Amino acid sequence: MKRWILFFLFASLGGAADLDLKLPLKPKSVRFAVIGDSGTGHAGQFQLAELMAKYREAVGFDFVLMLGDNIYGGKTPSDFKRKFEDPYSKLLNDGVKFYASLGNHDDPNERLYKPFNMDGKRYYTFTRANATFLALDSTYMDPTQLDWVTQQLKQSNSTWKICYFHHPLYTHARFHGPDVDLRKLLEPVLIQNGVRVVFSGHEHVYERLRPQHGIDYFVLGNAGELRPHNLRPSNETALGFDTDQAFQLVEISGDQLYFQTISRSGKTVDQGTLDAGKKPPPETVAPVVQRFNEGGGVVESTPVVRRVPIDHVPIRQRESSAGIQPPQKRNAM
Amino acid sequence: MNSLRSVLWLASTLSLATLAQDKVNPEARVQEDFRKRVMDYVALHKTARSEGKGLKPTQSQAEIARYQRLLAHRIRERREHTGQGAIFTPEITAEFRRLTGIALQGSAGTRVQKSLNHAEPVRLPRLKVNDGYPEGAPLQSTPPSFLANLPQLPPEVEYRVAGHDLVLRDVDANLIVDLIPNLVP
Repeated sequence: MKRWILFFLFASLGGAADLDLKLPLKPKSVRFAVIGDSGTGHAGQFQLAELMAKYREAVGFDFVLMLGDNIYGGKTPSDFKRKFEDPYSKLLNDGVKFYASLGNHDDPNERLYKPFNMDGKRYYTFTRANATFLALDSTYMDPTQLDWVTQQLKQSNSTWKICYFHHPLYTHARFHGPDVDLRKLLEPVLIQNGVRVVFSGHEHVYERLRPQHGIDYFVLGNAGELRPHNLRPSNETALGFDTDQAFQLVEISGDQLYFQTISRSGKTVDQGTLDAGKKPPPETVAPVVQRFNEGGGVVESTPVVRRVPIDHVPIRQRESSAGIQPPQKRNAM
Repeated sequence: MNSLRSVLWLASTLSLATLAQDKVNPEARVQEDFRKRVMDYVALHKTARSEGKGLKPTQSQAEIARYQRLLAHRIRERREHTGQGAIFTPEITAEFRRLTGIALQGSAGTRVQKSLNHAEPVRLPRLKVNDGYPEGAPLQSTPPSFLANLPQLPPEVEYRVAGHDLVLRDVDANLIVDLIPNLVP
């Protein structure tokens, strides 16, 4: 029986009743999830991973893009267990593949760790139907890698060319800000070679940028870490969310890319559709979206930061009640 | 007598030509010296690697850690008497300071500096040649314009900015091969 029929049956039986599913789940579509800055081993990561597993049952995504900082702090086998294998055990057992990119908290030798599917390479590519994915190492974008990116993109005839790497070219989180030097060198390559979507992490928030030179940028660095109230949106921000952990579901069907960003508490904080056949709207058009205050009330329509009401139980308290050890102290996040 | 004059003329011409060549492109000579030293290190790395079993992607992080430890140990044994400056000699260090100065000039320099700040500058204990890069410490990202300005490296080694220092790091062994203190302002 075809997989999508199984999902339809599953949904109609009420298995996904408590999930807020916005994707169309079209037949033969490419479905995946996106997480960034996940590898803390904190309770927040576990809770989000549990929610991802529930959505996996309804959506049937078969791979996950990892945007770097996959393992914070120590790199012992027990760290890999606590910060990756345990939280995502359900997904791993179901055969979901994780495709990692390297962040500044990762050891480049993670490329040899089979469950990250990097095939021993710091940067690599793979294709699913009409989508080509390039996982880049933004911690070390030397001329060799830049040449490789150019070659791979030129060779690809895919409708969707998607790049993902740790450091964002655009963001309005104030802790780091955008990597302007990386932008200067990498962005022209992406523009000239038809990249349509870029995912990054590093900033521990969710932010969707308005299209920049024809590219839609997503920052998703809050699947494990979180930096509350860190966004300072500008006219480039389409929507942001900085008060809870989140992951994203993506579905690609033909010229359409559907996305849904879901918080740890199960709220859909962003959703939308991108069209490969249409040029993205000009950067100056103001989005019609709403800004929420801490209590959930609407503050204004733009610019946009979603601060949906969340359960403010401190993460450390959650950890101790869940019997989870806090991670090692580190220099910086 | 004539032949002696000819030999002397030829010798003086050749030495003048060599001198002139040195004056024309001393940077290229220093960079070639750097390249040679790096390739010597890579040869040592490859010998150390060939002594053990190579490592293919594995499910076991313990295996990766063991491989890294063993490789570092074998390299350290071979470099027991090698200290700081074996690759970054004073001449090469001066050349790297010149190249870094170029990378940090003007608007591009402002961009590189911003990028360095963006990359979470790390504060590490004093780094030493043949030590491992501190475990668990983040690897500070190195701005692409900065990298583009330095001599290219083979895949076995990489540059890393660590605070104000520039580290030459063995990727597989996580070993500090050499370093230039206070290269980056």
